[in-house]
Amino acid sequence: MVTTETTSPYLRDPEVQLMLRVRDNDDDAFAKLVRNYQDRLVSIFANMLGERDQAEDLAQEVFLRIYRARHGYEPNARFSTWVFRIAHNLASNSRRSKGRRKEVAFRGSDSDSQAARPAEQLVPEKSALMPARQLDRSELQERVREAILTLNDRQRMAILLHKFEEMSYVDIGEALDMSPQAVKSLLSRARENLRAALETYVK
Amino acid sequence: MDRLSRISAEQRADLVAYLDGELPEDRTREIETVLASSPVAQNDVELLSRTYDLLDQLPRPAAPNEFTEKTLATARLEGIRPDLSQSPTVRLARRGAVLFGWTLGLVMLAGLSYLAANRWVPRESDLLLQDLPVIERLDEYAEVDNFTFLERLSGQPQLLREMRTGGGREGQ
Repeated sequence: MVTTETTSPYLRDPEVQLMLRVRDNDDDAFAKLVRNYQDRLVSIFANMLGERDQAEDLAQEVFLRIYRARHGYEPNARFSTWVFRIAHNLASNSRRSKGRRKEVAFRGSDSDSQAARPAEQLVPEKSALMPARQLDRSELQERVREAILTLNDRQRMAILLHKFEEMSYVDIGEALDMSPQAVKSLLSRARENLRAALETYVK
Repeated sequence: MDRLSRISAEQRADLVAYLDGELPEDRTREIETVLASSPVAQNDVELLSRTYDLLDQLPRPAAPNEFTEKTLATARLEGIRPDLSQSPTVRLARRGAVLFGWTLGLVMLAGLSYLAANRWVPRESDLLLQDLPVIERLDEYAEVDNFTFLERLSGQPQLLREMRTGGGREGQ
């Protein structure tokens, strides 16, 4: 019988090779994968959910799911596609279970262990809108974060994968289980929404 | 194209893909033609591009230093826990449950089949029982000869009484 392993086009992906070693209980290979993706996943989750602590928990859960599934692993996609598919599902489930919270519970990334501030301190005041060049960096960050939190889950994940991971429409489609054409429409709507939300700061 | 005319919805949807370099060659040329002649489209693309650049302001927090070790330790801990689903006892129990399920199913099927046959398929003895009242009086019916006689007899109550009393005398 011909298995996917002998014919898979993804075997050239070095991370797929690492995962095949993880399947054989190689913990060093697993550690390499964790190091490769931990910061990227925390960033994605932090911007998906607006919460730093939960972002770390969910990033760890992604790796644990990968580890649990190691014995049944087959290289049917690029490793990154698989990772971000799991991440998307976790983020969506997490947001559904918590409801649509609008507050932002983390500040910046200067410190690894910065405690979350109370939400009422984080909601930006409805000050007079100013062009980006007149806003200080933290205020602009706040506006951009607010804007991205107005997108729905799929739009936000697609934007983050495109911006942070520089993924192509095809790869984003595989991660979100959509056609490239659907990704094109999704990103177009997302970018139009962002433009509407941030128009004041780009003129 | 009119300098102030708006671009079509389809072209608008393509602007983002154009910026991302995701359009096929022919569509790219079409958008470039539109951009060359439409200040409105140029402005739209410019705003979309600058908005996208603003996303560089999003925070990219790093995982804490101990994240890798904590994750590995948690994963190993999960690995140490015996996977009950793979234990011989559980596998044996699972096989037993399957076997029991099949047996129970077959027994139930057999029972239902028996009940169905018992309920709907007539047997020879059932037919005999059904006809028993007729069989018991078969000799009397044979003497009757036909229904015409019975109908005429039923219209003669006097004769019937005499037959009963006469029958009584014959017996004395």
